Order: sequence, then structure tokens, then C-alpha cells
Amino acid sequence: MSQKLVIDPVTRVEGHGKVTVHLDDKNKVKDAFFHVVEFRGFERFIQGHPYWEAPVLVQRLCGICPVSHHLAAAKAIDQIVGIDPLDLSLPAQKIRKLLHFGQVFQSHALHFFYLASPDLLFGYDADPLKRNVVGVAMEYPSLAKKGILMRKFGQEIIKLVAGKRIHGISTTPGGVHKKITVKERSYFLDGKDLPSIDTMIDWSVEIIDFIKEYHQKNKTFLDTFATYPSGHLGLVKKENGFLELYDGNLRATDAEGNITLDDVPDVDYNRHFYEGVEKWSYLKFPYLKHIGREKGWNRVGPLARINICDGIETPLAEQERKAFKAATKGKINNMTMYTHWARLIEILYCAEMMKNLLEDDDILSNDLVRKGKRRDEGIGIIEAPRGTLIHHYEVDDKDRITRCNLIVSTTHNNEAMNQAVRWVAQNEISGKPKVTEAMMNQIEVAIRAYDPCLSCATHAMGQMPLELTIFDQYGNILDERIRQ
Amino acid sequence: MKEYGNKILIIGIGNCGRADDGLGWAFIDKIKNSLPENFDCEYKYQLQVEDAELISHYNVVYFVDAHKEQFDTGFILSEGYPIATHSFSTHELDPRTVLYLAKSIYNKLPKSYILGISGVSFQLKTGLSDKAKENLSNALDFFNEKTLNLVI
Repeated sequence: MSQKLVIDPVTRVEGHGKVTVHLDDKNKVKDAFFHVVEFRGFERFIQGHPYWEAPVLVQRLCGICPVSHHLAAAKAIDQIVGIDPLDLSLPAQKIRKLLHFGQVFQSHALHFFYLASPDLLFGYDADPLKRNVVGVAMEYPSLAKKGILMRKFGQEIIKLVAGKRIHGISTTPGGVHKKITVKERSYFLDGKDLPSIDTMIDWSVEIIDFIKEYHQKNKTFLDTFATYPSGHLGLVKKENGFLELYDGNLRATDAEGNITLDDVPDVDYNRHFYEGVEKWSYLKFPYLKHIGREKGWNRVGPLARINICDGIETPLAEQERKAFKAATKGKINNMTMYTHWARLIEILYCAEMMKNLLEDDDILSNDLVRKGKRRDEGIGIIEAPRGTLIHHYEVDDKDRITRCNLIVSTTHNNEAMNQAVRWVAQNEISGKPKVTEAMMNQIEVAIRAYDPCLSCATHAMGQMPLELTIFDQYGNILDERIRQ
Repeated sequence: MKEYGNKILIIGIGNCGRADDGLGWAFIDKIKNSLPENFDCEYKYQLQVEDAELISHYNVVYFVDAHKEQFDTGFILSEGYPIATHSFSTHELDPRTVLYLAKSIYNKLPKSYILGISGVSFQLKTGLSDKAKENLSNALDFFNEKTLNLVI
């Protein structure tokens, strides 16, 4: 008799997820799915609004990465007022990048210290009563303090540029609203009221040392858990193929490292991607047109970015990238759990970049806004903390938005997360008809590596629960467990 | 690091785009301009782990939030105490857990109170319901007349 197993909802991710596992008559896994069951429809209700409202409205998609939506929309709206990314004034470019690096820094710190570190420090089979951020605070107070202050530093950068930590406003079509003052930036440099940017760099190096040590001790687990071939997608610098988070070309490779998307301009994304739809999820499945739905999907986010880039412009992060690459002898890394290591390399990169920008006098300039010739379409693509984020708008002659397409990072990772669930189902659940705590934990650990934001991906709001259900071959529920 | 001295913090929790969920913010809107200098106010959508660091700098902290339960007075004031709740999401964190984190990480435990003001509507809407406005008014009267005098 075949069966189906359902995990609903998934905890410590942003949004509401549900997992179903289908078993055959020998309790072997036939298939497994990661369902996203929220719906919001941001792309629709933004239609009819004036284009200049987009960067303000769309950031309400999320309370975790509003800055990313704000900046991607701003880049798109710049084009509608006739300003391409390099047409922005240098001060505006640098202030936006400072905001972006602050956002990625705080988001990665949140994910690592609050969400992922409990699994790494206590093991995914540890008691959930202990395996959480409160447990980390109890047993590793020094680590918890650093995590809190690193996240705070990133949030203070966001507050500096955008006025407040969540849902602030920095951009205006063709530029930014305000410059930075000498007094404002000294808050981040002198270490008097907040640990300085140099301390942030030191702590970032320390936490990478921690993950490298963890890697040495747990190599087998990291090498095997939820490991499967995939494509990898992200932005790279136009001039040299280095890691790029704000404005670059799109590059993708297959699981062996062969180029599948060769540094194409981001505004051409529509020529290269389709979005597949499945009836069991509100989350779409983007893929490369020329490869097709089955094999053309890509991971995005830290692991993909470190995989595809040719280097990192800051010295310490570049050194760590080389160490990361050495772990696979330079080959593409398809091991999901290495995403945590890659994320920490990006934390260090962001810290180094924030230091460079804070010490750059261009951010003190009043040259903030440019004007150009009005267009009817704008496409903004950035690398959000979780991966490639695409905002695409069309407007009519009355300046109203007529079409909006958003492809967010978690949507790109949809197939990858489904693969992760299938891996756990095949390797850890197959042959076991009952839902156990260990099964729930392993599925969550696999999904959590992608730091998914299901609220963003479905453009939905909601809670973040995990539901796991086992079904037999006739669709009868054999076992079900819900974790709130 | 900056020291806040003998200070009192009011944290308004909520979302003014969800009707009566905006009660925590509305409370601060109404009261912030009349508070003595030793008070600070913070608007928050939800509490976060790092708020443990924030409250560790204060002697007294008020957490003000909308409450789904209906009370005769329109609000409920209870003393806060630390508790190691094991659930955490970036969308929800109990004030008592924040107190626990402040105590365990920073060895600081401010005196704290949780003020829940009854709301009746939590739909996507800007503005409080009439009932919530009435409850807010009662809570403000109580706070101004009774509570405020105790902590100044």
C-alpha cells in the first residue's frame, strides 16, 4: 500500500510551508513535495499605482528584506525616468550600495545566528527545547552577543540611509533622498556608541573560523546531507566576473560548472527565463528556456554566488573564497549545507565593503539625483540576501503601472528546495511510515539552508509553520504532524 | 557603549496597517509628546532577539501591544517576568523571552510591564475601530493617572 507523509508547517523559515511525502506499498518514497500555500498577489494590486510609488509599496512584501525590494524596484523605476544604473551619480550609487550591504549583512547575521546556528551548535537531532536561539544565548552568550550586535550594525546602517530599520525610504527616481554627514558616519567608525566597522570585520572573520572548524569536524555530514546536482545563478561584475550584489550581468552554470548563461545583461532576463507552474504550490518554478523545465532550474543565494563568481574584490573575503573553493578542489559545490559557509564569506565581504564606502567621501556629496528621458519599462535586478531578485514594471502614458512581474530569490530556489525535501525523504524517511521528530528536523534543516522567505515568494503574509503528512497510494493520510 | 542612565522605555508593538493591531503604536502616538525626558519610545512591528540588547540599557520597560481578549476595562496590565520559551520566529517573539535573553546574555533585567489593549478588528485597514479607540483612551487614562506616577 502506498502512503503519503506531510510536514506542515516548516519552522524557522519566513512564511508557511508544507511537505508531503508519498510512499509506495513497501513504504518506500515515491515522491516528495514542498508546497507553499500562501497567496497574496502583490503583482496584481500594484497595477494602477503611479510608478514612483513602487519602491515604497513593494517593500511591504517583507519585514526581513524590505531594503532588497526597495532597491530592486528603485533600479527599475530609475530606467522609467531614463536613468540606467551607471547614469546614477557616484554618490547615489555608493549610498545605495551602502544600504544594500547593510541589509545583506544584517539579514545573513539574522539567519546564521538566530536560525541556523542552533542546528549547527546542538545538532539537528537535539531537543527542540534547546535547539533554538534561546538555547544559543544560554550556552554561547558571547556568540549570541556578537550575533545581536552584528545584526544591529547592519540595521543601524539601514536606519542611517533609509531613516528607519524596517520599511524606510532611501531612493527617489534617479537617485537617493539624502547624503550622509560626517557625524553620522563617525558613529560607525569610531566604536564609541556601537562596535566599529573594524570590529564587524574581525567578528566576521571569527565566525568564518568557527564554520571552518565545524567543517573539519563534520565533513561527512556537510558533504552528503541534501547534496544533489543543480544549476547555479547570480549576478557577477560586468568588468571581471567577480561577486556582485547590486548591479551586474547574469551568469549561470550547470552542476559541473559549465556556463549555461554567459554574463548576459540583467535587463535581458525575460529572453532567458520561463516560470513553470504546478497545481500543488503558489510558488512558481523559474528555469532557463534553452535548457527546459526539468534541468534548467538554478539555485540562487550565497552558495550559487560563490560558485559562479571569478573572485571577490575585498582581500579578506577573497582569501576565504579561495579556502572555500579549495574544499572542493576548485569544482562547483552542489552540497546544500555549504550554503552556511558561503553566507558567512558574504558577511565578511559586506563588512569590508561597508568600511570602504563609509570611508569614501563621495557619500558626503550633495550630488544625489539625475534626470533622463522617460521610458515605459524598467527592469531592476539585484542580489538579495537569499539570491537573485527581479523587479519588472511597465507603465502607461499617465504614469500608472500596467504590469508588474516579480521573481524573488525563494522562487528561484523552489525546485532546489523540493530536491532537498526529496533527498531527505529518500535517504531518511523511506521505509518508515511514522512521522518522527527527527524527520521533521531533517526536512527543516535542508529547507532552512536556503533561508527561504515564503512570504516574499508568494508575495504573501503569514505565519511560519511546518506540516508533514504521509499518504498511502490511495491518498489516505497515514500519519500527520503539525509544528507551530 | 552608550549608557542610557535611569531611563524608561515604552515599546509599542503592532502594525497600523492591520486596524486594531496598531494599538501599540497609537498608544505611543498619543503619549510621546507629554512624557518626561527620561522616557524613550520605540515603534516595532514585532520584537526581535536584539531587543534584549536594547532593553538591557533601561531600568523600566513597558511593552504595549494589542490584545485579542476583551477586558472590562478595555486593557490589561501585567508585570513582565523572564521565561525561556523555546519557539522563535522573526515574526513573533514573546516579551518575556526578550527579558530572559536580556538577563542571560547581558545580566540585566529591567522592571517590566506588559500592557495589552483589547482590539476587535485585525483586518487589512488603516485606523482603529471605535471600540479600540475607547479601550486606548481607557488605557491612556490609567497609564497617565496611575502607572506614570509610579515610575517617574
